[in-house]
Amino acid sequence: MTWLANLHKTYEQHSQVIGQFEKKKNGREYALIPVSHTTQSAHIEVNVNSNGDFISAKVIDKSEGSTIIPCTEASASRTSAPVPHALFDKLVYVAGDFEAYCGEVKGTPYVDYMNQLSSWCESPSAHPKVNSVREYLAKGTLMTDLIDAHILWKDEYGQLLDKWNTATEALYGEKPGIFKVIPSDQSTAFVRFAVMIPGDPEPRLWRDTTVQNSFIQFNEMNMKEQELCYITGEYLPYADKHVSRIRNSGDKSKLISANDTSGFTFRGRFRTSREAAAVSYDVSQKAHNALKWLIERQGIPIDSKVFLVWGIDQLDIPAPFADTFTLYNDDEDEMVEAQSVGDRTHKEFANQIKRAIGGYRYDGDYKSDVIIMTLDAATPGRMSIVYYRDMNKELFLNRLENWHLTCVWLHRYRKDGDKYIQFTGAPATRDIAFAAYGPQAGDKLIKSLMERMLPSIIDGRPIPRDIVRSAVHRASSPVSMDHWEWEKTLSITCALVNKMYEKERFAVSLDINNSNRDYLFGRMLAIADVLERKALGKEEKRATNAVRYMNAFAQHPARTWNIIQSNLQPYQARSGTRDGFIIHCTRLLDKVGSQLQPKDYTDISLSGVYLLGYYSQRNDLYTSKADKELNDESEEKMNEQGENN
Amino acid sequence: MRNQIEFEVYGNYALFTDPLTKIGGEKFSLQIPTYQALKGIVESIYWKPTIIWYIDEVRVMNPIQTESKGIRPIEYSGGNTLAYYTYLKSPRYQVRAHFEFNPHRKDLIHDRNEHKHHNIAKRSVQAGGRRDIFLGTRECQAYVEACKYGEGEGDYDDIPEINFGVMVHGINYPDETGRNQLETRLWRAKMEYGKIDFIRPEECRMVRKTGEGIAKPFGNGNVQAVDQLYTELFGEEE
Repeated sequence: MTWLANLHKTYEQHSQVIGQFEKKKNGREYALIPVSHTTQSAHIEVNVNSNGDFISAKVIDKSEGSTIIPCTEASASRTSAPVPHALFDKLVYVAGDFEAYCGEVKGTPYVDYMNQLSSWCESPSAHPKVNSVREYLAKGTLMTDLIDAHILWKDEYGQLLDKWNTATEALYGEKPGIFKVIPSDQSTAFVRFAVMIPGDPEPRLWRDTTVQNSFIQFNEMNMKEQELCYITGEYLPYADKHVSRIRNSGDKSKLISANDTSGFTFRGRFRTSREAAAVSYDVSQKAHNALKWLIERQGIPIDSKVFLVWGIDQLDIPAPFADTFTLYNDDEDEMVEAQSVGDRTHKEFANQIKRAIGGYRYDGDYKSDVIIMTLDAATPGRMSIVYYRDMNKELFLNRLENWHLTCVWLHRYRKDGDKYIQFTGAPATRDIAFAAYGPQAGDKLIKSLMERMLPSIIDGRPIPRDIVRSAVHRASSPVSMDHWEWEKTLSITCALVNKMYEKERFAVSLDINNSNRDYLFGRMLAIADVLERKALGKEEKRATNAVRYMNAFAQHPARTWNIIQSNLQPYQARSGTRDGFIIHCTRLLDKVGSQLQPKDYTDISLSGVYLLGYYSQRNDLYTSKADKELNDESEEKMNEQGENN
Repeated sequence: MRNQIEFEVYGNYALFTDPLTKIGGEKFSLQIPTYQALKGIVESIYWKPTIIWYIDEVRVMNPIQTESKGIRPIEYSGGNTLAYYTYLKSPRYQVRAHFEFNPHRKDLIHDRNEHKHHNIAKRSVQAGGRRDIFLGTRECQAYVEACKYGEGEGDYDDIPEINFGVMVHGINYPDETGRNQLETRLWRAKMEYGKIDFIRPEECRMVRKTGEGIAKPFGNGNVQAVDQLYTELFGEEE
């Protein structure tokens, strides 16, 4: 379906959570907003009783300020022109005595506000609590009451205080709450109302669904113009203006804007935007509110881009950008097991992935869809859907499973607390960006890479070659970065190279029968590295020759190998015949060298495969070392025997 | 079907602009071509005011994928601006279309030679079209090749149904409806086993008026008979 229709459907599917606030990890609240409503952070809460008398007021803490407010089409997209919201608004609109404290204002915001509120209260869909608010505000004493209640502060001339500074601090004491929640002027404070009625469980009007529904009805009655809706195909009240603040509260750009009469985007064939396209108010509101909610809930913002993946029926979907480790952790039962993931057989690993992804497969939703959507704005004001994919959920999960099974290597860079964790699987897309472009990669670079990787992940397309090439290049220059960073780059690059040569099915475990030239050269480099490392001893931290020459080796393997090997000789000589491990390495080196065809021993530069050979061989030498040490004694004995002979 | 042609059309990109995103300026492509876009392609292959092309069916061959590009559209008030347009990537479609005579073109009744138009159309398909072909918008250059409809493997051949919801079907022009107004047609599009079966324009129930216009008349002033042209060009040689 079209993007707007899918969003509309998502809203309808989740109508049971409308108006319910959920908390994000960072403490921010968000909710699926009802139609004809928007969110705004309020600063002052005023309590009145059912007769419209002022009871009390308080300054709202920043974390609790998020308020669902009723708004009309015009007020939702107001800019400089004063258009009042329906119920809650800034002081300039709601306070009848605003001018007494703040001087003259442009237009008649208070009168407009009261007129609108009155027509709501006099309409058939009126709400008694809203009427109480009207009765109170009609008195025009809000500012005075707030000043008496020590919420707002005035200066010595009886005007509202501009700023809280040291002089006023000396006069009144500690900085009052209102100055903590409003960065600028007190007069910009946003007010919300609660109506206290004995026995009523929900005095907070902004949480009262009956008030919300009352306003939705009232607003609907005011919309007379009907138009053929391009989403539902029915004649419905028409939306002239669409929702903004989609990506975040400061974002004024819109997906559907309708004020372009000079850019010739639609003119020529049509005279007005309404002729070009029309969406009903209901659909527009629901779809945009669903989008805002989804972005808050599970969007990944990078720079100005927002990446969003959701299932229409079941919102939660494994993120295509996450690494395999995160995938395990999504499933809490798997968590404990995930710790031990490492040197397991490929089959076991595959089963684990299948189980983790299987956790997202529900009975009966094989027909359900997953939407992958990326939003970005080139210029403020207009937002664009820069990537959109509507996929069958089964297909999506299968493709994702395949990604986690094929773009695979053994990684050791993830931390759980202080401990490094070893996991086999696919790296996160963000980490791929760092591997390919270095830790200084800016958000602009990362966001474009993430978008470019999407087809590889969800369509099984090859990874763009330049990304792999760049990663291989960086992984071949260990001396240019810290050790941990190089290790991370190396394992991620191996995963990318492995994916690139998917057909050849390289595995982390060493393949001693592989006679691929690049693979063998990689193994030789690893042996040289491990041998020298061992000979240098634990105290010596300097880089081995193999590591230092790695870059040159990748370019001219044959020539550079001669250098590496000649530099190796002193170590081999020094350890003599006593150190079993070094002898083992030396022998292995000869063995690998003999596997290399003479015609392959050339200076043609190496492909990324050599990194796989390097990693696997090194891993093999290190991991089996523990086992070897067990056998060391027997091995040494054998060596001694060899010497004796 | 009588007077039918079959062809394959493909290109690097396609942009069948979703009208909702068009009014704001950040164009975003629909997932599948509209009837009107395909009709435009067929009309670029061969068209005369005497005939009306009808699109019968389209097969979506390649996976529906999007890719965005930064575009610098001309700002008509001066300068230019930056926009992100989102295109379909490497689209490929097999199309089946046929023509019927335009009943509202009484002025061209003498040109209703079915055999002639069908043969010209078939030859035009073989030649890759008479005019240049594009998918949706002008910057999406495309290529037409004759093909056997239904041959070859499509990416959605095994998928029973994909619903696209309400979509633009096309635009009604005065010379094809006989009404002096411009109308936009909507329909509920769906793809079954990779095929989209288009309904005929007059079957669209969701139609709204979107402007005025009149049909251009054809007569002695602006049409030249082929025999007359022939005499002009070669008459003296005979």
